[in-house]
Amino acid sequence: MTVSNRPWLAAYEPEIAPELPQPNYASLAHLISHSCTTYAKRRAFTCVVPNGMNGTLTYKQVGAMSDAFASFLRHHCKLSPGARVAVQLPNGLGYPVAAFGVFKAGGVLVNTNPLYTPSEMVHQFNDSGAEVLVISDLFADKLEEVIAQTGIKHVVLAGVPEFFPRIPETIVRGVQKFWSRSLPPVPALNVPVLRLRDALKMGRGLEDVTDWDTLSSDDLALLQYTGGTTGVAKGAMLTHGNILANLEQVKVMGGQHMSGEDCVLTALPLYHIFAFTANLMTFFDLGARNILVPSPRPVQNIQRALENYPVTWITGVNTLFNGLMNEEWFAAYPPKTLKAAIAGGTALHQAVAERWQDVTGTRVAEGYGLTETSPLVSFNPLHLAVRAGSIGVPVPGTDVALVDDAAEPVEQGKPGELLVKGPQVMRGYWNRPEDTAQTLQNGWVFTGDVAVMDEDGFLTIVDRKKDMVLVSGFNVYPNEIEDCLSKLDTVLEAAVIGVPDRATGEAVRAYVVQNPDVPDHVTKESVIAHCRKYLAAYKVPKSVILRDELPKSPIGKILRKDLKAEARAEFAGKV
Amino acid sequence: MLTELETTLLGVMMMVIMLGMGASMTPRDFRIAFRKPKGILVGLLSQFAVMPFLGFLLAVLLGLPPALVVGLLLIACMPGGTTSNIFAYFSKGVLALSIMMTTVSTLAAVVMVPLLLSFYGGLAGISGDYAIPAGNVAQILVVLLVPTALGMVLRKMNPNVGASIELIGSFMGVAVIVFLIATWVPRNYQLLLDTPAPVYAATISIGLVGMLFGYWVARGLGQDTRRSRTISLETGIQNGPLAVLVITLSFGAAMQQEVLLIPILYSLFIVLTSTVITLWYRRSSTREALARDAAKLGTAP
Repeated sequence: MTVSNRPWLAAYEPEIAPELPQPNYASLAHLISHSCTTYAKRRAFTCVVPNGMNGTLTYKQVGAMSDAFASFLRHHCKLSPGARVAVQLPNGLGYPVAAFGVFKAGGVLVNTNPLYTPSEMVHQFNDSGAEVLVISDLFADKLEEVIAQTGIKHVVLAGVPEFFPRIPETIVRGVQKFWSRSLPPVPALNVPVLRLRDALKMGRGLEDVTDWDTLSSDDLALLQYTGGTTGVAKGAMLTHGNILANLEQVKVMGGQHMSGEDCVLTALPLYHIFAFTANLMTFFDLGARNILVPSPRPVQNIQRALENYPVTWITGVNTLFNGLMNEEWFAAYPPKTLKAAIAGGTALHQAVAERWQDVTGTRVAEGYGLTETSPLVSFNPLHLAVRAGSIGVPVPGTDVALVDDAAEPVEQGKPGELLVKGPQVMRGYWNRPEDTAQTLQNGWVFTGDVAVMDEDGFLTIVDRKKDMVLVSGFNVYPNEIEDCLSKLDTVLEAAVIGVPDRATGEAVRAYVVQNPDVPDHVTKESVIAHCRKYLAAYKVPKSVILRDELPKSPIGKILRKDLKAEARAEFAGKV
Repeated sequence: MLTELETTLLGVMMMVIMLGMGASMTPRDFRIAFRKPKGILVGLLSQFAVMPFLGFLLAVLLGLPPALVVGLLLIACMPGGTTSNIFAYFSKGVLALSIMMTTVSTLAAVVMVPLLLSFYGGLAGISGDYAIPAGNVAQILVVLLVPTALGMVLRKMNPNVGASIELIGSFMGVAVIVFLIATWVPRNYQLLLDTPAPVYAATISIGLVGMLFGYWVARGLGQDTRRSRTISLETGIQNGPLAVLVITLSFGAAMQQEVLLIPILYSLFIVLTSTVITLWYRRSSTREALARDAAKLGTAP
């Protein structure tokens, strides 16, 4: 495969070098240590619970606490370099302490979704070979079933109000325990179970940690599990170098607008690669402040965080932006300090992007990425006019190619599968050579996304290769239909999939959710009539299903695969 | 009657409750709520139109003596009690609406309560010693607005302090009722025994009937079932301790005894009736949620 001539370089701001400079640090631990001393007095993280109660850690505190946790891991848990530590926490002050401690101990962080079921946890812990688990005390009830089936040797519990001032912490824990009854008792286990605070106490007395001195950019930093659309979750091996390169690439995306004075709203979960790199690592490198929201659902939970802090950046996905704008408190009083928002994770609908601009007066910079690429691949330069629907141009140091089914480059302007090569590309899937061989060839990642590139090098994702619907031999891309549906006032959100059809092979089916703020009811007829106006006949949904809500992933991506599975069950044996 | 110390203590407790009520929201919540004021206006209507009229009607129908009429009218004209927020939460109602209604009705009370008292008081033929000086009521309410405003500012300035005060205020809301019952009931044991059944009936039914009307007024004015249940609880649950405070500050020792009877009994019974109604509403909420879930399983056309 030949490297393209990078037609997109003209779109970069003049001060951006086409190649990414060598990272400033050998590892994430070096970066963290540097930030903690350089910005010692600044506030690094503030966690805000829905009633506005909050706790804050300064850079200095984060440094000391993560040192202590690293010592605890190395000396008490006897963690050897490269050993895996699973961190299963919602956003909170415990997360950076645990994650940074793992890096400083030379370990590999296994980010784990706190909402996983016991069987998903068992799979992920065994697949990764995790030795230590840091888990939210809200889910301690799952431990009894899980731990016995895994090689976990130490369990550390952290609470949502971890490191809050004493009184708010007591109140939040009291509310969890007695009011919402969401705090289960800790079961008796065969392995030692400690609270994070106590683990830090044990680590503090021990010798200074400099274990990270030997880390290099080639060492593994993360096993980032990704379900993809098929099979079981696989761990993408991301190195310190991958993340270091990608956070520099994120900074390019922010242009001149990102600095240590910034305050970024982190409502997306940190265990997801998007918020991990874009919010946690990038803004920590800058010396800026992260506002952590433990759970953005319902969206109302974000209200106090936005009201009480001078938020300058928001990262989000389409559903989060849409959700925010449907909240009166947000639409009526959008944050005045906001500079821009970063969208990723899933296609940003045109209607949502335009409304965001209207409501907040700021841009949404849409980026595109995947777990396998740490995640950022491309971005929309903020200094250029908005290009409707584009995911922008590749970030510096990154090459892309669009290929057909035979892996041959397609003609310019024609759709092809997007391939990515660059310093942010993973080493492969953990212990899965076959999956790695399929996805990663000669340094190119096969993304499974179909895209087109215009003359200037701007990319537009047409859709997931696997989600394409084939109607009488015509390709229909669900994104296009969903984008059209989202322009209908009565529709809050929509998802489109293909279902078997006797006449056309596959037929387009739309799932729509009523917009509660509009008095008119969404009907099958009105949806179809709307689509007929804007879409070719074969693209118009043949069936429309009204739903109260759509299945979503932890970061709020609408899960077409769940709808497809439902449809498969429905049509089993029928066609 | 309450001793001077007890009256002072009651006043302090009311201050803390009002501080907590203010701390349950920020000035911006207030502004946002008034962008779409329909729910609040419906609530105000049932609070200040339905309830006082019900109180008056009950007083006339049961032919109560003047002292009790004053107590009943006063309870009927009071703004929403802060405990309504706890009940709204447990009944799976709209907590934000409940908080907002309590605050707004307390603010409006400064004007509405004196007006309503003199209107219905006149209609019921209350005069002379039993007439509550309207200026007095307004004064007490204005004084209580100071901690409310302070609470709001505190919530905005330091959310940790604000939310803690909110919690203390909620506990105080329950504590004050316990305090009233504990200080008043033992001393007036005989009075309770001598109190005829119609008085008990009036005390219990003012809350219950208020809830019933509150619900249907809200439904009739286009509020959904969840909001209507919230408005219903808010309408029926009055600020009983505030009525007690007004009475102790307005009447001499000799008259307090009788006038206090209904407000104190009300404060006791409303906790019981609200609990029953809350459990019922909670079941209705759950049933509706299940019905919505069932409706979600749409079928292919």
